[in-house]
Formats: sequence, C-alpha cells, structure tokens
Amino acid sequence: MEEFNNYIKTLTEEEQTLLKDFFISFDEHCLLNKHTKEKLKEDFEKAILYYHKQGTELKDALSYLDVKNLGGFYARPPVLWFPLDDAAKIYPLSMAHDRMAMFRLSVYLKEDVVPEILQMALNFTIKRFSTFATTLKKGFFWHYLDITKRRFKIEVECDVPSQPIKVSRSGSQSFRVKYYKNRISVEFFHVLTDGTGGMAFLTSLTAEYLKLLGVKIPKNDSVLDINEEPSKEEYENAFKSVPDASNASGFIDKMAVQMDGKLSKVRPCKIIHFKMDSSDLKKASKKYNATITSYLLALMFVAGKSATDKLSGDISIQVPVNMRKYYPSKTLRNFSMYCGIRLELDKITSLEDIISEITKQLDEKASKEEMSKMVTSAKRMTSMLKFVPLSIKAPIARIVYGFLGDKIFSNTLSNLGVVKLPEELSNKIESMDFILGTAITNRAGCSVVTINNITTFSISKMTVDPTFEEKFYELLENDNINVTVEGSGLYEN
Amino acid sequence: MKIKITYPKVSPEKVKQQRLMNFMKWPLLIAAIICPIINLATGGKAWSLVVLMSIYMVWDLVISRDLVEYNRISQFVKLITLTGLLLTIIDVFLSPGWALEVVSILIFSGLIVTAVLFFTDLERQKQNIFPFLFLILLSIFSSIVGLSFYHEEDSWGLAVMGAVALFLLITLSITLKENILNELRKGFHTS
Repeated sequence: MEEFNNYIKTLTEEEQTLLKDFFISFDEHCLLNKHTKEKLKEDFEKAILYYHKQGTELKDALSYLDVKNLGGFYARPPVLWFPLDDAAKIYPLSMAHDRMAMFRLSVYLKEDVVPEILQMALNFTIKRFSTFATTLKKGFFWHYLDITKRRFKIEVECDVPSQPIKVSRSGSQSFRVKYYKNRISVEFFHVLTDGTGGMAFLTSLTAEYLKLLGVKIPKNDSVLDINEEPSKEEYENAFKSVPDASNASGFIDKMAVQMDGKLSKVRPCKIIHFKMDSSDLKKASKKYNATITSYLLALMFVAGKSATDKLSGDISIQVPVNMRKYYPSKTLRNFSMYCGIRLELDKITSLEDIISEITKQLDEKASKEEMSKMVTSAKRMTSMLKFVPLSIKAPIARIVYGFLGDKIFSNTLSNLGVVKLPEELSNKIESMDFILGTAITNRAGCSVVTINNITTFSISKMTVDPTFEEKFYELLENDNINVTVEGSGLYEN
Repeated sequence: MKIKITYPKVSPEKVKQQRLMNFMKWPLLIAAIICPIINLATGGKAWSLVVLMSIYMVWDLVISRDLVEYNRISQFVKLITLTGLLLTIIDVFLSPGWALEVVSILIFSGLIVTAVLFFTDLERQKQNIFPFLFLILLSIFSSIVGLSFYHEEDSWGLAVMGAVALFLLITLSITLKENILNELRKGFHTS
C-alpha cells in the first residue's frame, strides 16, 4: 500500500522499529495463505493510517490494534466442525437459489461507521464465535458446519437487505457484516444461529468496534469478552438437553388466510421501521391489560384483517419462542421454537375484543410443556431421518416445504425483547432493529427489539400493497403512541 | 404516514441462477413429458430414458447448480458419476455390450483428474475431500463386486479402476494422515 509506505517514511527511527516489531508479531499470529495474509495485513495498515489521520500516537494505535487480539485463530489449522442443531437441519434442505432463511440485526450508532475500524473489529471478534467462522458442507446423511480460517470481510450496504448468501463455494461464509452511515448490520443464515446468538455477535462486534475507537467498556456479563476462550456450552445443540415430552405435537395446521396484495418479485420489496418510546408502548399495552407482545399481536391481527378481502378463514401469526427462558443455556446456536396464534377472521373486530384471547393463546401455546412437545417432535423427526441419505431427504424436503411452506401462517412476530448493555456501550447507541428474511407466501414478517427505551417494530414487506402498515400505524396513533417511521424505498420497480 | 428513508437506493439484481432456471424450466419439462409419450406411441427401444437422463444432467449440472458444496471436486465427481450412469443406461436400453469397459475407463480417468484437481490446490481443497473420498470408496466397492461376478477379458478396466482407487486412498491417507478419518467422520455423521 503506497500510502502506508509513504507514512512509514514520515516516522522516526524508533517508531519504525516499533512498527516493524508489530508486524513481526503479526506474522507469528497469522499463518493463512499469502493472499489472505496480505489482505489481513492491509486491514492493519488501513487502521493505523486512520488513527494517524485522527492524530492518535502510533504507540496508542498499536496498543488498540494489539495482535494478541487475533489469538490463535489465524495461526492454527482448522480442526473443529459442528453437526447442525435440530432446528437448523431444515434450513439447507428447504433453501432455493432465491430463498434462504435469513435474518438481520442492526445497531444505529451516534456517529458514522469507520469501515477501517469495523473491519479490524470483525477480524478480532470472529475467533470468539467459532460456529460462525464456518462453511456449510454436505455430508452423506446431514449437512454440517466446517470451520474455515479466513479473513471475513465487511461490505458497504448497497443491496436489498437479507438477500440469500452464496454458501456453496469453498470456504464460503454464512453471514455478512454490512455498514451504511451510522448503521452496522449483520445478516445471518439461520443455519448458524437464532436471534439471541445473532445479538450476542452484534453486541460483541459493536463493543469491540467502539473499544478500538477508544471507548472504555468495562468487563461485564452482557457482552462477550472476545479474548476469552469460547466455552463448550456455546457450541452445544441445546435441544438435546430438553427432556422428551410424553407426547409430541405436530407441525402441520390448516392453511391460514394471507393478505391479498400481489407477491412482489423482489423480496423483501420494502423495509419499514416504526420507532417508538417503549414507555408509551408499555402504557398502551397496560390499558388493555396485556403484555407488549400480546398488544402488538392484536394490532397485527386487526391490520392483517384490513389487508385482505377474504370473509372467512383464520389469520394465524407465528411467534418464535426462545427456549432459553425454559432451559437456560449459553448456546450461541439455534435454540428457539415457535407457536401459532390463530383467530377467526370474523372474530377480529376490535383490539379490546381480541386481546384477552391472544393473551390466553400465547400463555397456552408458548408454555414450557407445549414447547417441549414441539422439541420432542423435532428430535423424533431428525432421529427418524438420520440414516436416510441426504440425496433422498433433500428433494423430498424441498417438495414438502414448497407445498406447505409458510402457508399455515399469515404473518410472523419475533420479539427479541429488551437488549441490556453496559452504560458505556449503550450511550454510544441510538437504537437497534431486527429484520426477518423473505417468506414464500406471507406478505409481511414483523420483528421487534428494544434498546435505550426505543422499541423498533420492523416490517419486511413481500407485497407493495401498503394497507397493513398504514392500518398498523393508524392503530398506534389511536393509542397515542408517537411513532417515527423509517425504512427503505420500494425495491420493486 | 411519512417514511424517512434510511437505506441506500439500490437496483435489485434478480438472482441470475433463478432467472436461468425460470427460463429453462418449461422447455426441459415439456421435452421430459413429450419424449416418453412419443417413445411409448412409436414403440421400439427405450431411447426416451436416455433423453430423460440427459435432461436431468443438464438441469443438475448446468441450470440448477448445487446450493451447498459447489466446488471443482464435487462438480467433477458429479459429472463423472452421472456420465457413468448415462452410459450404463445407453448400454442397457440401446446398444448393449460395451459399458463395463467404457464406464470403468471413465471412472479411473475421472479419479486421476480429480486427484490432479485436489492435489494442485491441496490447502483449499482439503475441505472438499468428501466427494472425492466417496468416489474412491464407490470405485473400490464396484471393482470388488464387479470382479467377483465377472471374469471376462474386458474386465481389465474394473481391475484398473479398483487399483487406481486403492492407490489414491493410500496416497490420501499418507498425505492427510488422521484428517482422512476426520473427514469420513464428518461426511457420515448422523447426529
């Protein structure tokens, strides 16, 4: 890098020695192939130049970028591999060229992102998340994740969010880190993790990024220490720890009513974020004697009804349930199930009328017993199919999934809850959002996350028809909730 | 409802692969339906099976590419296996008597080419060893089974196929040591 070479010439002899020693130490920490090593070295050089431009002393810059942060990740050959967890097994079986189970988490900082530093933060953070530094591979019976030692690069956002990732090439990654203005986003293929694991990665990456910018973040339990050895528990397939229920529940239900808007060719065709004060939302929920999830579900039922002309049938909303609340686990992999909240169309009249039924269904269907039954079903199914070759399983799964798909649900509401971070970190964060990936027939997918008293309700739209979000907005306003609406333009022509 | 735009303007590019699949799906599907009908109506040899197998090969290798494990080793192994199957179908249904020799030549040549593809980029291709191992084991198995039942003059191909496969298995075991067992463990895991 010419700019870096010119910079070296401006350094004193002592500084040049310091820099030389630094890169000797880098060489010891990086035994990747020549091309990748050069790229990684370039990342360091760009970061050093950034610090120089900011007026940071070289000594301080090198202390921020201490190569110890690379650990042994880039110095040791890949050894680990991971069978897919019970929930992840379906994702590679059901994916298509234009469809992949993706989700995306974003953090909005108070200042614009510095790409040079974000790249370094990723270089340092990835070693802590071994199951993420993997490539999806095909075995004879099941897919698995094979660890891959490479430089994982950040990308500037210039594409539709949550698009499928090419996971087929040698050493391909199953997640991507993007940035745009003050936003850092991570898009995950669900085969790696669920919302909780994804959030652990995003917060760790953000904390590391801010540390590299000089923010002092004390050791705490809410953000993983990237230089700590990952524990075995973080890799585990936590479904195995769930005791088998006496009877298992099924995954099939009757078809649900879909919103009527024409399915868009580009999916999602629009992203909408409703940002609101969490206290206002809480107050509105209390008014109906409901939890925030029940209240939002009620709004979605009413808005969903207004987005269809059908007169009969059920609207059903899929609600993912974090199994960690029933079976505490440190796993960073998938550990969630789901339930379906279902109401007949003609019973959806007003919020007051439906909210108690929603709360009742949520209590029953998302209970520990029901979730255990579902886990038992999933475990039985994977155990039944374990000796069937993948070449037989995959086409059958694709046909069944293509036929059933998401037709038993009309919509999804995934609530990640309140993200608690140390004050030093949350002070630098404006808000967060969470976007679900594409659906097959559902016209919308909704998700919620709260941080710093700001709740962001996001909608991934699969139809141009704006009725659902407009009605949702109107309902929030009726309950005196002040909403800021942000989002994308229409991606569909 | 006024939306503040916080995303960059993009012109979405539809997945090229999907576009190709949508474009090619119908002509191939029509051919796959019409050929067996014509074959049944006109009688004679089952040439439509060869057409169906060829359509499947074009679909699988060119149009609907693998979503997982699309690398030079896996694709070459797939090409060899499917070509072997196509030749066997031609032999059984159209002109019998030559496939055993030709398919075994095809497979041992394929094994040699795969070995070249593998060893010339060992560091990266190590991760893609499973399809290669699978072809080796399949060749050894086919060679043993074939030679147990067939001892004619043209069975030399089977013997060479088995020998080449065994040689490659030994070479891989020496080069990759315990990694080879690890790869087998990964490839055949059932958990």
